[in-house]
Amino acid sequence: MPVTEKEILAALSRIQDPDFHKDIVTLGFVDHIAVRDSKVGFEIVLPMPLFPVKEKMREEAAGIVKGLSGVSMVDVKMKSEVTGHAATDRAAIPGVKNIVAIGSGKGGVGKSTVSANLAVGLAKYGAKVGLVDGDIYGPTIPIMMGARTEELRQRDGRIIPIEAHGVKFMSMGFLATGNQPLIWRGPMAHKAVQESLLNVDWGPLDYLIVDMPPGTGDVHLTLVQTVALVGAVIVSTPQDVGLTISMKTFRMFEQTKVHPLGIIENMSYHICSHCGEREEIFGHGMVAQESERLKVPFLGEIPLDIAIRKYADQGMPIVIADPEAPSAKAYLEIIERLAAQISIRNYYSKPIQIIEEPEPNPKTFTV
Amino acid sequence: MTNVQHTRGTPAIIKKQGNKTLLITWEDGHVSPYSFRYLRQNCPCAGCIDEWTSAKTLNPGSIPLDLEGLKVEPVGGYGLSFSFSDQHATGIYHFDYLREICPCELCRKR
Ligand SMILES: Nc1ncnc2c1ncn2[C@@H]1O[C@H](COP(=O)(O)OP(=O)(O)O)[C@@H](O)[C@H]1O
Ligand SMILES: [Mg+2]
Ligand SMILES: [Zn+2]
Ligand SMILES: [Zn+2]
Repeated sequence: MPVTEKEILAALSRIQDPDFHKDIVTLGFVDHIAVRDSKVGFEIVLPMPLFPVKEKMREEAAGIVKGLSGVSMVDVKMKSEVTGHAATDRAAIPGVKNIVAIGSGKGGVGKSTVSANLAVGLAKYGAKVGLVDGDIYGPTIPIMMGARTEELRQRDGRIIPIEAHGVKFMSMGFLATGNQPLIWRGPMAHKAVQESLLNVDWGPLDYLIVDMPPGTGDVHLTLVQTVALVGAVIVSTPQDVGLTISMKTFRMFEQTKVHPLGIIENMSYHICSHCGEREEIFGHGMVAQESERLKVPFLGEIPLDIAIRKYADQGMPIVIADPEAPSAKAYLEIIERLAAQISIRNYYSKPIQIIEEPEPNPKTFTV
Repeated sequence: MTNVQHTRGTPAIIKKQGNKTLLITWEDGHVSPYSFRYLRQNCPCAGCIDEWTSAKTLNPGSIPLDLEGLKVEPVGGYGLSFSFSDQHATGIYHFDYLREICPCELCRKR
């Protein structure tokens, strides 16, 4: 007797997804089951990119089904369909599934380096990724992406983003003319967000990473008012005393109901450029402690490693320049956790829907 | 983060009933019935509130009785904006604020 679809699903429901802590059948990941005599095929569709660790799930699924009676061969296809943030018309950019803000309390903590590596890393695993350099106090993304001299072109009145390392990016710095430092206030901030986010021909994107200016200000306010973010990530360093500065940024996101996706500790420990030994840095571990206190996921720690800077300055983020380096692996772990947090957020969050219906039987209000 | 504060200020269902009423059912089950006139009277924009003292500069009595709400739109993920029939549309109503000004009898007693 050939195996039934029901038996296959029952067997597969023994597999837990490590991020959701639910079984993959309940989560709706299993699709397209086909049985032909003793041959079984099915798909596992994940709501995030296919990171190498997901191979374990494929093997486990194949093994479990192979163990069923009446099955001689199993073919499991792993697929990725990144889920999108449920947002309504005005609060969305058409075709862009998830807008993620990367913030920090102050400058120089490595926020832009993190943004560039996250973007390039997500793209490396097959996701469609955009990157906005909103850090107008020091637009460094074009340098890190190795495309500082390109000029912006337009199509149908919309800016065509620049492409590098599989990522489409746009810098608010491109909008500035001359060398004078720009301070985006009120209407200017609004225009900058408009031009660098909404008026860009992104095409379909799984993730749009926004490198925010440090601290809190008009660009932040405009951003959270204009688009619905799937959430925000905060980058902090052990030296960021008591995290008080990052806390201000954290509170701003909280007040505007931007979901905290997690906190990253950068320059967490030191990797010696000569011997590769790991050395602790004073204050290391505080960020993890703080995120536990705040009940916000700790996404991981990135070492202080001169190679990160070297590759950034060369326009080639370390996750692709030297993927085997320990610090590139640290980034990869963070990327996996972040993608998981985003898909979990999308699984549980409901869209803000405004239902329109006719006035019920006339009723007067006394206010 | 599912604490009490969080569900209080999170809408579950938002209903625009004609041009007179906005009905919000919150995650904690509470229902807030607003008239658009009441929402207009409590507009939090810089033109209706004194920036320094937070006092109302708008005279609530000046809002016509037949004022209507023409459009309801989400703002980011945290609030709503309304276009009223008197052309006013500048206020961003944070969900926490909307909950705070709930006009239901229970809330008004507090
Ligand atoms: N983990 C790291 N190890 C070594 N240098 C780093 C690391 N992260 C960032 N940097 C370097 O620190 C400087 C500031 O980083 P940047 O990303 O521009 O900070 P921010 O955007 O927060 O101002 C850059 O020169 C960058 O190459
Ligand atoms: Mg920067
Ligand atoms: Zn107003
Ligand atoms: Zn009430």
